[in-house]
Amino acid sequence: MEYIKEQDLDYILNKFHDTHKPFTGFERFIIRRDEIFSEDTGMDPDSVVECVLRQDEHLKNFPHPVRKAKAFEFVLKNTRISCDARDRFPGLNMTDRPLHKTLVNAWRKEVFDEIIPEIGARRTRLEKDGIVTIWPDYDHSVPVWERVLSLGFSGLREECRLAHNAHPWDEEGEAFFEGIEVTYTAIIDFIGRLADLADNTAGSERMGMALRNIRYSAPKTFYEALMVCYIYFILCEHIEGLQVRSLGNFDKIFLPFYENDLKNGINEEEIRTDLAYYFLQFTAIGHAMNNPVYLGGDNEDGSTIINELSYVFLDVFDKMGIYNPKIQIKVNGNTPKTFLLKALDMIRRGHNSIVFVSDATMRAALMRDGFSEDVARTCDVKGCYEYAVQGAFSCEMNYLNLVKPLEYALHKGYDGVTGVFAGTSSLNIEDYVSFEQLYDEYKRQLKTVIDTTIETVNSFENYFSYINPQSMISATFPSCIAQGRDAMHGGAVANNSTLLCGFIADIADSLSMIKKYVFDKKQISLRELVAMLDTDFSGNEIWQKKLSLDREKYGNNRDLPDSIAVDISKFIISSVVDRPNATERGGKWTCGFHVARMSYDQGKKTAASANGRRFGEELSKNLSASMGQNREGATAAILSATKIDATAFSSDAALDLGLLPSAVKGDDGLEAMHGLLMTFVKRGGHAMHINVFSADTLRNAQSHPEKYRDLQIRVCGWNVLWNNINKEEQDGFIRQAEALV
Amino acid sequence: MTATIFEIKRFAVHDGDGIRTTVFFKGCPLRCVWCHNPEGLTNAPQTARYAHKCIGCGECKKEGFTPDDCLGEATVLYGKEVTAEELLPILLEDRDFYETSGGGVTLSGGECLMQADFCAELLKELKKEGIHTAVDTCGFVSKSALDKVIPYADVFLYDVKAYDEDVHIKCTGLSNKQILQNLIYLDSIGKDIEIRIPYVPDYNDGQIEKIACFLAPFKNIKKIRVLPYHNYAGSKYEALGLQNTLPDRLPTDEEIKRVAEKIKVITNFVVLY
Repeated sequence: MEYIKEQDLDYILNKFHDTHKPFTGFERFIIRRDEIFSEDTGMDPDSVVECVLRQDEHLKNFPHPVRKAKAFEFVLKNTRISCDARDRFPGLNMTDRPLHKTLVNAWRKEVFDEIIPEIGARRTRLEKDGIVTIWPDYDHSVPVWERVLSLGFSGLREECRLAHNAHPWDEEGEAFFEGIEVTYTAIIDFIGRLADLADNTAGSERMGMALRNIRYSAPKTFYEALMVCYIYFILCEHIEGLQVRSLGNFDKIFLPFYENDLKNGINEEEIRTDLAYYFLQFTAIGHAMNNPVYLGGDNEDGSTIINELSYVFLDVFDKMGIYNPKIQIKVNGNTPKTFLLKALDMIRRGHNSIVFVSDATMRAALMRDGFSEDVARTCDVKGCYEYAVQGAFSCEMNYLNLVKPLEYALHKGYDGVTGVFAGTSSLNIEDYVSFEQLYDEYKRQLKTVIDTTIETVNSFENYFSYINPQSMISATFPSCIAQGRDAMHGGAVANNSTLLCGFIADIADSLSMIKKYVFDKKQISLRELVAMLDTDFSGNEIWQKKLSLDREKYGNNRDLPDSIAVDISKFIISSVVDRPNATERGGKWTCGFHVARMSYDQGKKTAASANGRRFGEELSKNLSASMGQNREGATAAILSATKIDATAFSSDAALDLGLLPSAVKGDDGLEAMHGLLMTFVKRGGHAMHINVFSADTLRNAQSHPEKYRDLQIRVCGWNVLWNNINKEEQDGFIRQAEALV
Repeated sequence: MTATIFEIKRFAVHDGDGIRTTVFFKGCPLRCVWCHNPEGLTNAPQTARYAHKCIGCGECKKEGFTPDDCLGEATVLYGKEVTAEELLPILLEDRDFYETSGGGVTLSGGECLMQADFCAELLKELKKEGIHTAVDTCGFVSKSALDKVIPYADVFLYDVKAYDEDVHIKCTGLSNKQILQNLIYLDSIGKDIEIRIPYVPDYNDGQIEKIACFLAPFKNIKKIRVLPYHNYAGSKYEALGLQNTLPDRLPTDEEIKRVAEKIKVITNFVVLY
C-alpha cells in the first residue's frame, strides 16, 4: 500500500482485531488484540474489569460522572499499552469498551428494566413489529475539535478548573467538574505512560517525543495534532463509550499545522506518510459504518476552505485505496471545480467513500432553527451525512417506517404481518369511498405512531446522563463548562432528538398505485388488492408485475407520486418539528430521511406493498426511488428528491444516486457528474452520494468474489467491500443497477 | 406541424457538451451496417416485440390495446407523432442541469434533418428559452434542409464515416459527396462543429488517416469524437423483425486509443473517445 511499509501494514491492520479471524465491523467493541501487548505494561484485561467493579463498590454514593471517571482512570492507569516501531501511533489493550461492561450497561439495564420498565417494553415491541426502531443514541456527536487542538488535554482541564473555581456550583455542577478533572488528569497521565514506553522502545523515539510534547501542551506539529486526535478518538469511542462521529473539518483544523511544518522545512512526503498511518488506524478498527471526517465549507470571509491540504488529503486517501475513514465534502458555489472533479473521479473509479453535502442547505436549515449564520456556517457534518452546529448533542437513532401505518389503515388498525393490534382502529376497507379518505386515515395512523415514538423517546432520554455521562466531550463544549452541565443533560448548545423517516418512496408509490388502479381506473377493488398483499401476490403475479413495472413512481419526476411524497414530508414536519424532547435535555425534535440498515431490517417485517414490493423485500433508501424504480435516469431522480424541502429536515436528507460506468466515462462523463452534483446543490438538495456500477459487473462479482476483492459499494452513508455483504443485499444492488439508464 | 420521433433520452452525456436531453427522430437515408438505432431507419412507426419482457398480463389481447398499455414494455411502438408544443415542456424539465453543466438539447435520430422544418421550429422555440442546441446529423441532407436549422443550432454533431466514396457506399449504401460538401459549407459559414467518427473494424478502419487529413484544414471543428462500434443493438433487430447486419468484430480499447491518437496527431484537434 502506498506510503505504508509492508511489514507495518500487517502489524497495524491486526492491531485492533485479528484479521485472520471472522470479523464484522459491528463487533469492533467486543474484540481486542491481547497478544500484541506485553505483560510488563499493565494488568490483563479481565483483571482490570474485575478491579474496576471492586473499586466501584466503594463509590456507590458518588454521582455517576465521578464513578465513571474513576473507572476510566483505573483503566487508563492499568491497561496494557503498546508502542511499536512498525506503527506511528500507540495502542491500548482494552478497546472493547470496558466502562460499558462494568458500569454503563448496568445503569442502562437499571433504567429500562426497573425505573421505566413499561417504556423499555414498548421500545422492544415497536422494534419487533418493524414500525419504529429506537436505539438510545449516545453516539452522534462531535467534540469541538478546534478547542481540542488549540488547548490540548491539559489546556481543556485548566479551563474547566478555572470555571469550577470561579464560583460555587450546585451538586450536579460539582460532579460534572469532578468528572472532568479525574478524566482529563487520567488522560494526561496516560499520555505520560505511553511516552515512557515509546522512549524505551527502539524505533519509537519520534512517537515518544510527540507524546511528551502533547502531554502538557497543545500540539505544534502536524504529527502531534494527529496524535491528539487519535488519542482523543480512541479513549472517547473505545474506553469512555461515546462514538466520535466525526474527526472534524480536517482541512480547516489541520491547515495551520501543515503550513507550519512546511515553513519549518518538514518534507511534505513525511506529512503525507503520517496522514497515511493515521488513516490506517481507522481502516484497522474497521467500524462497519466507517469513521467520518469532512473537508471544505466556507471561511469566515466567505472564501472556500478547500486548500492545498484538502488535495493532499484526497490524494493520500485515493492512493491507499481504503474506504475507512469516510469523507464528506461540504460543497458551495465557490468550491473549486478541480477539487470536486478529483473527488468525482475517485468515485467513478470505485474509491467512493465520499458524500457531498450542500453547505447552503445546511446553513439555511440551521438558521431556520434560530442559529446565526456564523454558527450555521461552521456546523459539523457527522455520522453519514447528518449535521448539527458545533457543540451540539444530538440523538438521532429513531427510525420510523413510513409504510407500516398504511398496513394499519388497510387492516382496521392491525399489523399486516403479525396481525397484532397497533394502537388505533381504522375503517373496514369497504368503507373507504375515496382515495382522500384512505389517505387521511393513513396520516392519522402515522400521527399516532409519531406521538407514541416521541413519548417513548422523551421518557428514556431523561436518563441519558444518568446512564452514560460524558466528561471528555463535555469539556470541549464551552456551553457545558459555562453551565456546569453534562452534554447529555442539557449542557450542549443544541440538544435535539431526531425522527428518521424511512421509505418515503415506497409509501408515495404505494399510495399512487392505490389511487390509480383502485380509485381512478377502478381495475381492482381495495379488498382484492389488500387480499393480494396479504398473500404476498401469490397467484396474482401479474398484478405484482403490473404494480411494480408501472412507471408512475417517485424518483422519476412524475407529478402523482412526487406530490404525495412532498405532502407526506410536510405532514411529518407539522407533526414533529419543534416539539419538545426530554425535559432533562431541554431540546426539541427534528427530522431526517436517513434509513441506515433499516431498509433491510424493517423491510423484513413489512408486508407486501401496493407498489409491487413483495413481503420482506428491501425498502427504499433515504430520498431515493424504491428498489429498481429510478427508470428515468439521474436527472429525474434529482428533480423528484429536490421537490422535498431539505431545509425542513434539518438532520439530513440524502439521495443515493446510481450511475452506469458508460454514462460517466471520459471527460464528458466527469463533467456530467459535476453537473448532476451542482444542480442538486442549486435546487436545495442536502446530501448526495454515488454508486457507479453496472449490473454485469456486479453479477460477475457475485459469481467470482475472488476477482473482486477490492470492489467497494456504498450501502447507505458508508462503504463496504462487496464481498462483505450478504447475497440478499448483493441482489438488491444488482436489481438497482439493472434499472439504470 | 408534427414530427415522428422514437425516443427522448434524458441525461445524455455523450451527445454534445454537458448534460443533455436528446430527441431521436425517425427516418434515415443511410443504411449503415453497424447501425445501433435500427428502430430509427424508417419514417413510418414500427411495433417491436421483446418476447422475453412479456409479463403475461393479457392487456395486448384486449380491444383498444396500445403499446402504452404494455407495462412489461414487451410491445414497444417506435414512432410517435409529436408537436413542438408537446415536446418543449419535456425538454425543459432538465433546464437546471443544462445550466450547471453547459448542456442543452440535441436533435438526433435516425436523421433529424429529414424532418428539417419541424427541427427548425423546435430549435427556434428552444433558443427563445435560452437553451443550448445541437443537431446530430449524418450529413446526407440537402443544403436547403441544413439552412433551415443553421440559425438555431449552436453546434453540429457531424458524422464522418468514410472518406473514399466506394467505402462509404459499402458501409452505408450511399455516396458521401453531399455529406462532405455540406461539412465544408458548415465550416465556411463559421458554425461550431463536433465531428463524430464511428470506428468499425473491417469496415472503415482503413479510412482513419484519410478522414483526418480531410478534416485537418477545417477552421470550426471544436473537437472530434471517436465512437467505438458496439453490438448492443442485436436484440432490437430481432424485436423489429429486421435482418441483423451488425459486424462481428469489436474494437479493443487499445485500438481506439491508437486511432484517437493518430487523428490527434494529424488534425491537432481535441480528440475524445
